[in-house]
Order: sequence, then C-alpha cells, then structure tokens
Amino acid sequence: MRRNPRVAVALALGVLIALLSVLAPLLATHDPRATSPQAQLQSPSREHLLGTDLLGRDVYSRVLYGGRRTFGVALLTALITLGPGLLIGAMAGFAGGWIDTLLMTLLDALLAVPPLVLALALVTLLGSGSVQIAVAVGIAGIPPYGRVTRAAVLEARSRPFVEAARAIGARPAGILTRHILPTIAPTLLAFAGVTLSWAILNSAALIFLGFGGDISAPDWGVMLADGRQAFRTAPWVALAPGVALSATVLAINWLAESGARD
Amino acid sequence: MLPFLARRVVMALAVVWLAASAAFFALRSAPGDALDATMARAGASEDQIAAQRAALGLDQPLPVQYARYWLDVARGRWGVSLVNGQPVTEVIAQNVRPTLTLALAALGIALALGVSLGVIDGLERPAGLRWAAGGLAALALAAPVYWTATLAIYALTVAVALFPGVGAEGPRAVLLPALVLGFHTAGSIARVTAASVRDAARGDFVRTARAKGLPDRDVVDHILRVGLLPVVSVAALQAGFLLGGTVITEMIFVRRGLGQVLLTAVTNRDYPVVQGLVVLSALVYTALNALADVLYQRLDPRTRREG
Amino acid sequence: MANERKRGRGPLRLGVLGVLLIGCLLLTAIVGALALGDDDDTTPDAGNMIVYGLTLNPSGFDPHIHQSSELGIPFYSLYDTLVYRHPQTMEFVPGLAERWEMAEDGLSWTFNLKQNVRFHDGTAFNAAAVAANLDRIMDPDLGSQKARVLLDAYTGYEIVDPYTITLRLSQPYAPLLDVLSQVYLGIASPAALQANTNNSYQWHQVGTGPYKLDEFVPGSFIRLVRNEEYDWGPVFYAPVTDGSLDTIEFRFYIDPATRSLALESGELQVVGELLPTDAELLAGNVEVTVYQVPVPGTPQQFFFNTRHAPLDNVTVRQALIYGTNRTEIIDAVYQGRSPIAHGPLTSTVLHYDPEVEAMYPFDLDQARALLASQGLQDLDNNGILEFEGEPLELTMVFSSWNQMPDVAQLIQSQWRELGIDVELIQVPDFPSLRQRVRDDDYDVIAFYDFSVEPSLLNRFYLSGAVNNWSGLSDPQLDQTLYEAMRQTDPAARATLYSAAQQRIMEQAVVLPIREYVNLVGVSSDLDGVVFSAQGWWPLLRNFQYSG
Repeated sequence: MRRNPRVAVALALGVLIALLSVLAPLLATHDPRATSPQAQLQSPSREHLLGTDLLGRDVYSRVLYGGRRTFGVALLTALITLGPGLLIGAMAGFAGGWIDTLLMTLLDALLAVPPLVLALALVTLLGSGSVQIAVAVGIAGIPPYGRVTRAAVLEARSRPFVEAARAIGARPAGILTRHILPTIAPTLLAFAGVTLSWAILNSAALIFLGFGGDISAPDWGVMLADGRQAFRTAPWVALAPGVALSATVLAINWLAESGARD
Repeated sequence: MLPFLARRVVMALAVVWLAASAAFFALRSAPGDALDATMARAGASEDQIAAQRAALGLDQPLPVQYARYWLDVARGRWGVSLVNGQPVTEVIAQNVRPTLTLALAALGIALALGVSLGVIDGLERPAGLRWAAGGLAALALAAPVYWTATLAIYALTVAVALFPGVGAEGPRAVLLPALVLGFHTAGSIARVTAASVRDAARGDFVRTARAKGLPDRDVVDHILRVGLLPVVSVAALQAGFLLGGTVITEMIFVRRGLGQVLLTAVTNRDYPVVQGLVVLSALVYTALNALADVLYQRLDPRTRREG
Repeated sequence: MANERKRGRGPLRLGVLGVLLIGCLLLTAIVGALALGDDDDTTPDAGNMIVYGLTLNPSGFDPHIHQSSELGIPFYSLYDTLVYRHPQTMEFVPGLAERWEMAEDGLSWTFNLKQNVRFHDGTAFNAAAVAANLDRIMDPDLGSQKARVLLDAYTGYEIVDPYTITLRLSQPYAPLLDVLSQVYLGIASPAALQANTNNSYQWHQVGTGPYKLDEFVPGSFIRLVRNEEYDWGPVFYAPVTDGSLDTIEFRFYIDPATRSLALESGELQVVGELLPTDAELLAGNVEVTVYQVPVPGTPQQFFFNTRHAPLDNVTVRQALIYGTNRTEIIDAVYQGRSPIAHGPLTSTVLHYDPEVEAMYPFDLDQARALLASQGLQDLDNNGILEFEGEPLELTMVFSSWNQMPDVAQLIQSQWRELGIDVELIQVPDFPSLRQRVRDDDYDVIAFYDFSVEPSLLNRFYLSGAVNNWSGLSDPQLDQTLYEAMRQTDPAARATLYSAAQQRIMEQAVVLPIREYVNLVGVSSDLDGVVFSAQGWWPLLRNFQYSG
C-alpha cells in the first residue's frame, strides 16, 4: 500500500483532538461554564488563550471540553444511522424484488419527512438536548445511507466474480458478506465519513434553529451559533470552535477514506 | 414497461401516505397547537380559544382528525393554513419558484464543482491539484452553512460589494446563496465521486484495458462512467434536500421559499401546511429516486439486466 | 472487445465529461429562465423609496384578527384610528374622530367623526364604516385574537347620525381610548371587507391612512405607496415635503446577525431589533444611525411559579430578586443600552410608579440572609443550599427571543453564588412554552408583553387570568386592578396603579430585568424618524430624506 500523507495527517489530527478532549480537565485554564461578564469579548491574551465570549467565559477551556460533547453526539448519530442504514440498504440491494420495493418505500417515506418535523417530535417526546438532536439527525440520516448502500450493492452484484460465485452455488449470505461487502466497502466507508460530517453539521443547524438543550454547556455547535452574534468585533469566539469542528470533520473523512483502502 | 410503471406509482402513493401519516402524528405529538401560537399569546380567554379550537376541528380525537384529513385530500381539498386561512396549495405555489431557482442553481454549481473536485481527487491527476481538491471538498463538508453564508455576506456584499446585499430582489440575488449552498453540497458529491472513481480505477477492466494498450482517454472514460454512477444517487438525494428548501440558507439570505414556509408552519403548529409540504416532499423524492434508478439502469450496462 | 466498446459508447460519444458539461449548461439555462422570471417584482417608478426590514414573519397580518405587534410596523400607516396618542405628550388627539365625550355614568362614549375622509378605494368614511369594523371584530367567526380581547367591556354601538357614533360599555372602561388608538382597531373600508373573505382581506387591506397597500406577496414583501389625498391626519403627522417617502417596501430579516450587514451594504434603510453588539459596531459608521426606541409595557422579566416550593415562600422570592445583579446583565448582554427594570411595568407606561425602584436594590448579603432566615442552609458544604433534604435546583424556562438565553445563563451564574442550582430549559417556540405552563413544568419562566396602558397588568396578575403564570391569587390586588380599569379619573387611576405595582413587587412574583429598548438602525440620510406612542410602530409619514 502506498503510504498516503493524508492518512498521516488525519491520524495525527484525530489523535491530537481526541487527546485534547480527554485531557481537557488537565489542560483547561478556567471552568468552562464560569461567566465573568465584566471580562466579555476580550481578545486572546495570556490569561485567556483564546479570548472570552459574550458572557466572559474562557473560549480555550470551552473548546477543550466541547470536543467531548461533539464526539459523543457524532458517535451516537453514526451508530443510529450506519447500523440500520447498512442493514436495510444491503438487504434491499441484494434481495431485490418485493423486499427491495418495501424497504425503499419505507426509506423514502422517512426521507420525505423533513428533519425539522422529526426533530420537533423527538424534542417533545424526549425533551431538548444533544442526545435528542443526535437521535433526530441519526434517524434522518438512515435513508440516504440506505440508498447509497443499496446502489453500491446493486452495482457490485452484477460484477463477474459475483456471477461466478453464484454459479458455483455459494450461499447468498456468504456472497454478500465475503464478496460484495468488501468490494463496496470503500464507497460505503467514504459515505460513512460524509454521513458523520452531515451529522455534526445538521446537529449544529438544529442548535442554530433553537432545538439545543443545555445552552450553557461547552459544545462546538452551540459556540458556533452564538459566535455569529459578535463575529465582527470578536471573531475568535467562533473561529476557535469552527477550526476545531472543521479539523475533526476533516480527520474523520480522511481516515474513513483511507481506512477504506486498506 | 407498464408493470414497472404501475409498481412505481403504487410505491409513490405508499411513500406519500406513510410520510404524511408520520408527519401527522409527529406534529400533533409536539406540545401546543396553532392556537397557542396565536390566540393564547394575545391573552384570549380559554373559552375563546376552546371555541376556536372546536370550530377548526382540532378538539376531535386523533383518529377522527386523521380520517377527515384523508377524506378531504381524496376530494382534492388540501386544507387551509390554521393560522391565516390561506389555502395550502396557494402557499406552496407562491414559494415553489424561488426554491426551485435556488435549488437548481445550487445543484448545478454543486455538480460542476463536486464532480470536478472528486474526479481530480479520485484519478489523482493533475497531480498538484489533488491536495487542493481534497482539502476543498473537506472544507465544504466541515463548515456549517450558516457560517459560510455569514462570512460570504460580509466579505462579498459589505467589505467588497461584488454581489447584491442580503434581501435584494431580482435575478442576481440568487447568485450568492446558490454559491454558498452549492459549495456545501459539492462537498458530499466530491467525496463520493472521489471514492467511487478511485475504486473504479482499480477494477479489472481497467487493468486489462491498459494492458491491452487502449488509449488513455477511453480508459478514463470507462472509469468515469462506472465511477460516477453512485453520484447519480447522491445527486438525486441532494436535489431532494435542496428542493425541500434549505431553511437556514433562506433565513439568512432573506429569500422566500419552501424552507421558510416549513419553519414558520412548524413553529406555529400549522398542521395543514406542514402536511402539504410533506406530501410534496414525498412526491419529489419518489420522482427523483425513480429518475435516479432509471438513469442507473440506462447508464450502467452491467445492471441493465435487472428489472 | 472492440465492438463491445463501440456499442457501449453509443450516446456517450462525447465522453462522460462532455455529457456532464452539457447537463450543466442546460441547468444554467433553466435556472436563468427561472430567475429572470422572478423579475416581475420590480417597482416601476418608486420615487423616494426605502426598504424596511421586518424582524419576524408573524402568523398573520390582519390587525383585526392577529396579535403580533410586528404587523403594526407596516399597517399603522395604512390605517387611521379614531383617536391617536401623541408620541411626545401621550395625550389623546383627534384621529378619525374630531371630538369625543364620555357619558356621566361612564357607560357610553360618543364620537363625532371627521367628514370628507376617503378610504384608499375612494369610498367614504362615516359612522356606518366604523360600525362595520366593530361588527367584524366582534364576530365570533372572525376569530379575533387581540382586537376583540382589547375591546373587553364593549357591548355595542349606536349610529346617531352619519358622522356620529356612540359606543356602549357594560361597565366604565378606562382603557377604551387607548384601545381605539392601536392599530388593531384601525378602520378598514367596509367595501374592501365585503369584497374579501375574513382570511383573504389581509392581503388586500384598505384604510384611510397616509400610505396605501400596493402589493403584498406573503412571506416575501409588502409594498406601500403614498396616499396623495391624505390631509386628515393627527396633528403630529408632518406635512409632505420633497423628501417624503413615496414607496416603502417591507422585507423579512429574521436572522439577527445579518441585519446590520444588510444595513451596511445599503440593501436596507431601516431595521429594528439590531443585536446590541452590532449597535456598538454601527456606532462608528457614519452612514448608519442607531436609534434607541423604548417600548412601553412589561419589562423583559421572569415569573416565579408560586405553586412550587420553595417559591411559594415570599421571602425566598424576594431573596432571589435581591440576589440578581441586573446591571451586570444589562451591561454584558445589552451593552448597557437599556434601563434596569424594577417593577411590573416599564417607566414609559402610564401611571408608572417610581417608588418600585427603591424596593430591591442588588444586595447579595441581604439575599443570603433572607434565604438563611427561611431555613435554607448548605449543610454538606457543597456550595448548594438544601431544601427538604435535597439540593435546591430551580428550572428556568425561556425562549430564544431578545437574548433571553444569555440573560438566563448569567442569572444561573449569579444564583450559583447564592447556592442555588438553575436548570436552563430553552424552548424553540411559543406553543412549547405554553405547554410547559399547562404541565406546570417550570419554576421560573420568561414572558412579557407591550402596551402603554397599565391595564396590561390584568392579563398577568389577576387571579385565574390566562397568562397569570406565577399563580398569584391576591384578592386585594384583584380589587385594585378591577377598580383601576373602571376608574376614569386619571388621578384616581394613578393611585390605584401605584398600589398595584407596589403590591406586586411586595409579593415578589416577578423578576424584572430590563426595559425593552428597540435598537433601530437607520440610514443616516433619513430624517424625521419617529415612532408611535406604543413604541413599535414607525410614523412613516414623518420619515423623509434629508437634503
């Protein structure tokens, strides 16, 4: 395998971010929730490495702690999306016929319900919060992932070696797991990366629209939404979590894509 | 052809029914109703509110409301907004065009940009640009739309007046939002394209073809034909999202559109309007997916056999 | 092999990329066609024109039906009301009524109407027109959310002669003139009302005001054009000059962060509810002027739920008010651009009692002492007081409007100093807020409304009132408020409302934060920027381009 500089960068980035998040309590200089209104919107200084936000909270500490929440939410969302999505898509693509039709109908129906409506219903039933947003975004992500999986399975199914396997009487489940899935793994993994990115961004969007729960908790999505208010006088308030978020998504994508190749 | 079509139509109806029902119950499980959003806010008495509720039929048990909704739909009556009495069809008709304009423009930009970036990244040529292509795609996926939008508005309408300001009317007003939206949509298209193209480039056919000395151009062409297939799916998906109306983009750029209609309706618990939008959304998605499937079959000689 | 290849290439002879290119070009063509078609919204000859930003898209725009104060921003200038409040003196001045008189027993008011007034559609204004409007508002089928509620004690009318009408009341009703001065009681053309259904009228409104409706595309824009024939306005309306506005277009700028950007790019000339941080930024920009317009009513405030212990204890509630540093909140969140609120009404409301200002100065020691005196102590030394054996935690509920989330977060920090934990619950919209009220699922909740008339208090503080979210039930206060509503002598009303405001604060059921100040950004080449006495509504008649 050709060594890919991207893998190295992504790995390094991922590890760095993970480490910073885990070590947050040690590395933080202030309590991430401690407000200090007189010290609002200060530019980065020795006391506040990344400045302060509108309520005088230390941005650096909040970014450190924020990673945990973001990872947690992203992971939960990914689980909810990838598991069912993969299963349904693979079944539909492989089995074909009425199973395919039924599953696709269900998926399309879910897709047609706007995430906003879904989120509102979930927030009602379960209260507002990061977990609820994760669930809403996760469920909303199942149809796209299912569809892409199905498309990939369909494409792989018609390949010569699959035909060959069938011809020699291999069992369908075996064909699926041993031949098809490994072949389409790159595409699926790449889309998993995309899905994860969407998850993080859609969560941020729902927070922006007001469905977020604990608003004082350090959370990159919340910080980004809040940071817009003062972005011209205090750009660091949103820049810091923005860079963190982008770096995380970047790392996830590159890892997913290169992990696919090996 | 006919059984194929019949199946599609049945599926479409099933999707619409399922989606509308899901939305029906989802919305009514949400706290409060349309009258809370309006009358209670102004201090109307409980009696007045109750009377209005009865008049609108909102006090009936859920199954009854559900049945009545479908009976009305069967008669072609899509209802009126609970909040201002405008017919749902009119509300949608008024807002379809701006959404369509923005969605198609963004899709065009997304396809052009996304496929280019993905192909460059996947084929790994031209060599130098590969990193840039990958990086750009990653950026498109990593930044929230409301941020890029705000920065773009500041940089391109205030700092340097390249585009009309937020809220402008007229044909040029669609450019900046389409660019921002298109940029972000391009991200996922680029990603999938890159992976799929890269994958296709390693396929057996390519190796044999190269070994046989086929002109590079044809090889690339084959790679692309195979590699771009999943793009059809993703594009259909994204088209659906875009047509659904991207709430945040419309809000920030002060554009009329279905996304903004949806947000207002959800906020006000305006059930008929939300239902109408969900039905429309279901129809659109089904159509797009059918289109995608058809394209798939026609474009990929290998799956043409499947019925 | 070669044959296969040639067959496969059929329609794709141009190569994949070629096809894609064509596809994109096609798409561009379609988009272009669509976009150019959008051009039917241009105004032909606009004259002096401004674009005015509305900050929310209310559920409806019919003043007789809907309750949003936002709708008054365009429509206050489309209608005239029977009487007007002078924006500076707050006195009632003639509008469509030249004079008025209250009967001895206070049970009826007679209005002599102006003659030679015409609606925008050319029909004549007269007593019958007023009657038609009142009929409409009181019609249960209309579903009026505010106008009818405001009319309260009104029972009917009597047309004395073509230009005189008497309104009858079930009891003396002091707020009547104030109600009649609001946009919700704007007088619409009966012909237009007839020509439309109850729900379609809002898109085709016809009044007698200085501006008339040119075009209304829901969710997109509202265009008003000047009424050339208008010469029956109230005394504070400025005469028409070369700089007067000919056309005003209202568009919806719901996202707060882009309002200032739109102002600076010149796309907007006026927009309200600027972010305080943006107002600071714009202070340095000569092309934009920021006006601070106070809006009378209740302050931005929180209600205490007196049904939930320990908030059922008045001393505990008082402690919380003493322990809230409002100055700090206003400086941080609102950049100091608001006065602190001390009572249930803001200082610009009629019969405001300044005595409330001395009642609860910020005093942490006093707060702590009061809490301790009620047996709330931190026995396990974890920084949180115990109440009935459990750490004291209060649930604070609010929506996202007007930077309340930031206010709530600061209060959370401040009360932590007192040893009280606060759980913050932000709800996305009003129905969700109301649901929590119905479920009694809150300890502290944010809710407020606007009015010049102090009878606004009734809605929040009368026992059993719909919006009485504190659960206050004080018969003495009820008496006072009822009396004050019936009492038409201003001096007597003042005394009664003083008593009411002080009583409410003694009961400590509300935590007032700040008086609402609308930060309005206006292009610097506009003069005459004046707002109505009610605070929200611009007197567009007076706006003009300078020089």
